[in-house]
Amino acid sequence: MAEADGGGDAKAPLNSSIPSGKDTVWFDVSSLLHRACHDLRNDELINGENFNLFAAMSALEIMDPKMDSGIVSTYYSVDEAIENGAAPIPLSFDRTIDVQCVIDIMDHFLACEATWHKGGSLAQTVFSCIYLLRPERTSSHALLHSFCRVIRATCSALVSAVSEARTNEEEDLFTMAYGLPLKVNGDEKCLSMIHAVDETLCRQLKACKAPVSKKTVLEDVEPLQTHLDLEEGFCKAVLCRIRFRKHFYHVLTCLRKPQGRGLELAKKHIISCLSELDSMLKTEEFLRDNSARGTVENEDEKTTASGCQPVGFDSTLNSRSAAPTPPRAIKLLSWKKAVDYFRKLLHDLDVICSYSLDPVFEGALRFVVDVQKFQPDLVARAHIQLLLVQDGKLYGRESLFAVICKAALLPEGAKNHDIQKNESVQQLGQLLITLFRVLCTNTAWQRRKLGKILQDWRIIYVQLELAFRKEFGETASTSVEQDLLLKVCKHILIWVEEQTYWIALRFLMVGFELELYSTDEYCMVYWYIYIILIKLAEKTHLKIMLSNDSSRRKSKKKKGFVKDVGKDYQVPPVVLFLQCYIHVSQGLMMILASLRNENNIILCQGPFNTEHERFVQHFELLQKASLPDHASFFSFTETVANTHFSTLSMHNCFKDAQKIAKELRGSFANDPDRLGELRQIEQVAEHNHVALNLLCQLGSLEPSLKISFDFIHHPHFATASVKRS
Amino acid sequence: MALEFDTSEIEYMSYSGEHHLPLIMNLVDQELSEPYSIFTYRYFVYLWPNLSFLAFHKGKCVGTVVCKMGDHRHTFRGYIAMLVVLNSYRGRGIATELVSRSIKVMMESGCEEVTLEAEVTNKGALALYGRLGFIRAKRLFRYYLNGVDAFRLKLLFPRPEPDYSDSIKSVADESEEHGDGMPPEERIIQ
Repeated sequence: MAEADGGGDAKAPLNSSIPSGKDTVWFDVSSLLHRACHDLRNDELINGENFNLFAAMSALEIMDPKMDSGIVSTYYSVDEAIENGAAPIPLSFDRTIDVQCVIDIMDHFLACEATWHKGGSLAQTVFSCIYLLRPERTSSHALLHSFCRVIRATCSALVSAVSEARTNEEEDLFTMAYGLPLKVNGDEKCLSMIHAVDETLCRQLKACKAPVSKKTVLEDVEPLQTHLDLEEGFCKAVLCRIRFRKHFYHVLTCLRKPQGRGLELAKKHIISCLSELDSMLKTEEFLRDNSARGTVENEDEKTTASGCQPVGFDSTLNSRSAAPTPPRAIKLLSWKKAVDYFRKLLHDLDVICSYSLDPVFEGALRFVVDVQKFQPDLVARAHIQLLLVQDGKLYGRESLFAVICKAALLPEGAKNHDIQKNESVQQLGQLLITLFRVLCTNTAWQRRKLGKILQDWRIIYVQLELAFRKEFGETASTSVEQDLLLKVCKHILIWVEEQTYWIALRFLMVGFELELYSTDEYCMVYWYIYIILIKLAEKTHLKIMLSNDSSRRKSKKKKGFVKDVGKDYQVPPVVLFLQCYIHVSQGLMMILASLRNENNIILCQGPFNTEHERFVQHFELLQKASLPDHASFFSFTETVANTHFSTLSMHNCFKDAQKIAKELRGSFANDPDRLGELRQIEQVAEHNHVALNLLCQLGSLEPSLKISFDFIHHPHFATASVKRS
Repeated sequence: MALEFDTSEIEYMSYSGEHHLPLIMNLVDQELSEPYSIFTYRYFVYLWPNLSFLAFHKGKCVGTVVCKMGDHRHTFRGYIAMLVVLNSYRGRGIATELVSRSIKVMMESGCEEVTLEAEVTNKGALALYGRLGFIRAKRLFRYYLNGVDAFRLKLLFPRPEPDYSDSIKSVADESEEHGDGMPPEERIIQ
C-alpha cells in the first residue's frame, strides 16, 4: 500500500512562483504526488496506519463545500452576496414593490421555520436569510427590522426550550446554531417594536378606509405604499402576519412560566394565532393577483402567498462556515403546508394547555400517552416534557417522593417519612423523571429507550428491598416506627413492580404502532402481551388490596367492626379493565396459534433461522430483565402447541371481554377517554368472535379464503376478518 | 414492463475484479436514490469481494448486491449495503437469490447476525427480507433526508449454544423409544 509521506530520495524544489509570506513557505510537490499516484494500483485507496479504508471513504464527502471544493455555490460568502445585491435595503425604492417583497419574506420565513421544526437545520432554513445574518443592515427598515427581531427571538426561545428538554432524539439538528447570530442585542425588545409597527399600520388602515371628508384630518399619516386602491389589502396582509408572530411569541413565553401558571393565557394567544393564520390565508388571492414580479410555476410548492420568489435567501451561504449541515439543499415546505404545520402545532399546544396538571401519577402518565396519539412534533413534545418535570418536581410543584407515595396508595402523611432521604429512594425518583422524559419522545426512539430502562427498574426493586431491610434493622426501633416503615416499604415495592410491568406492556404495544411486527409474529407477541398483562393486573390488584387492608384495619380499630371481605368484594374497575385486555390478547393468540396448527399458515419459517431466533430478538430486553420470571420460548411453544379451533376457552375469551367491557361502562361514566377505549375493545371482541365462529364452522381454510389481521378498531389489538380473495 | 425470461437463464457471479465495478456502479446509480462516490464502492468490493454478487441475463448485468462484515460492539456482523435489480427483472426471485448467496457466505464466515436499513415504505424489500427471517428490530425516525422513517432489519443466526430445555426433552423422548427403563433424571445430559 502506498503511503503519502515525504519519501526518501528526492527533495521537493522550492517554487518561486508562489512567493513566501511572513509565516508561509510554499513547496511544489507535484512530482512527488505524481509518483505517489503511480505507486497506487488500480482500485486502491490511500490508507495507512491511522487512516484505514473506512476513514478514506468517509473523508471523501461529495457535495459538501467544506470537503468538496468542486461544489460551486452562487456566492462564496454572505458579504459577496450582499455586494452583488442579493439583499437590498430597501428592497425596492418603489414602496409598493417594497411591501410586496417584505410580505414574501415573511411568508418564506414561515415555510423555513416549519421545515426547521420538521427536521431541517437552522442554517439551511431560517438562517438562509441574508437579512437575518447581518442584523444591523435592516435598522432603517422598521417593518423588516422588527420582523427579523421577532423571528430571531422566537427561534432562540425554541432552541433553548428544546435544549433544556434534552431528549436527545434523532432530531439533534434542531438545536445546532453554531456560527449563527441567534441572539442579537435588542431582540428582547422585539415585541415593543412589533407593537409600534402594528400601531402605524392600524393608522394607515384607518386612513385608507376613512371617507373623503375626513381624509384631511388624517393626512399626516403616510400610507404604507403608493397604490391607494390596494392600501387596505396590503395593510391587512401585513397586519395579520405581524400579529401572528406577536401572539406566537406570547404562546412560547406563557408556556415557559413555571408551574404551569401561564397555560390559561397561552390558550388565549393560541386562539389569536389561529385567527391570524386564517386571515393570512384569506390574503392569498389578493397578493397573488397583485404581485409585481414573476410567479413560480408550481402552485403547490410556492413558499409565498403571492407565488413570487422571496428576495434575500440563499441556503448555500452557511455551508462553509456554520454548523454541520447535510450537503444537499433540503426541500422547503410550501407556504400552505407551513400554515398547516403551525395549525397542528397550535392544536397540540392547546391540548397541553388544557391539561389539568393532575397531581396523581397515573393521570400524568395517561396524559402523556394520550397526547402522543396526536403524533405531536418535536416542539410540542419538548413543551410537554418541560411542563411535567421542572426543578426535579412534577409540574415544579410536587416532590417526587410525594408523587410516589400517592401513586403507591399510601396515606397522606407518608410523604413526610424520612426514608425519602435514602439514596435508593432518590434514585427511584430519578427513574421516574427519566420515564416521563422518555414518554415525551418520538415513538420510535421512545420504544428503544423503554426497552433499555426495564433493567433499571428491576435493579431498583432489588436495591430498594435491601435499603428498606437495612433501615428496618438500623433506624426503626419502636413498633410504631416499624409498622409505618413496613407499610411504606410494602406499598412502594409493589408499586415499583406495577410500573415495571406497565413499561414492559407499553414497550410491546408500541411495537404495533411502529409496525415492527410482521403478521407471522403476532402470535408470539400477543402471547407475551398476555403474560405481561396477567402480571400487571396481579400487581395492580395487590396494590389496591394492600391499601384496602390498611384502611380496613384502621377502621376496624376505630369503629370496631369487621367487614366480610369474601361476600361483598368487588374487583376494582381498573383491574377489570386489564382483565378485558387479557381476554382479548389471549383470544388473539389462540386464533393465530390455531391457524398455524390446523392450516399451516402464518408460520415463522425461514431458510436461515427459526422462530426461536425471532423470539429471542423481539423479546431480548424483556428476557434479560426476567419479565416475567420463567417466560421462555419453550413456554410459548408449549402454550400454543395444542391450541385448536375446538378449544373452548378461546370462544369464551371474546365473550368474556365483551361482557366485562359492557359492565365497566358505569364505572368510567365520567371518563370519556376510557369509555372510548371500552367501546373499541367491545368492537374488537365482537368482530373477532364472529371471525372465530366462522373459522370453526369452515373447518379448514380453503385456498380461496384469506384471513387478515387489521387494526381498524384498536391500535394495538387486531381484528381478524375472513374474506374471499 | 416485466421482461419475459426463464429464471434459469440468470447467471450469478461473485465479484471478481475491477471489470465488475462499473457494472455495479451503473446499476446502483440508476436505481437507488442515494449517490455514492466511487470510493464507497471500492471500499466494499476491495475489502469484501466475496460478499458482492452480480446477476447476468444474456451477458447483461441485471442485479447486484454489495455487503460487508466485521466486528460491531463485540458482535461479528454482516451488513447489506446495496441491493439492486433492474425494474424489468423484478418479482422473479433474483434479489432473493443474490442476498441469499451473500448471507450464506456471512454465515459460513462466522457472522452472528446480518443487518441493513430499509425505508418503511419499501414494501418489496420488507417482504423479501421478512421471508428470509429478518425481523424489524428498530424504527429509525426520519432516517432519510427526505424525512422517511427506516427499519433496521436484523437476521439472527441460530447460536451453537446448547438449549438445555430442548436436550432434556429429546433425552426423555429417546428413553421412551429405547424403553430401557431408566428415569430421565438419572440420564447423563449431553
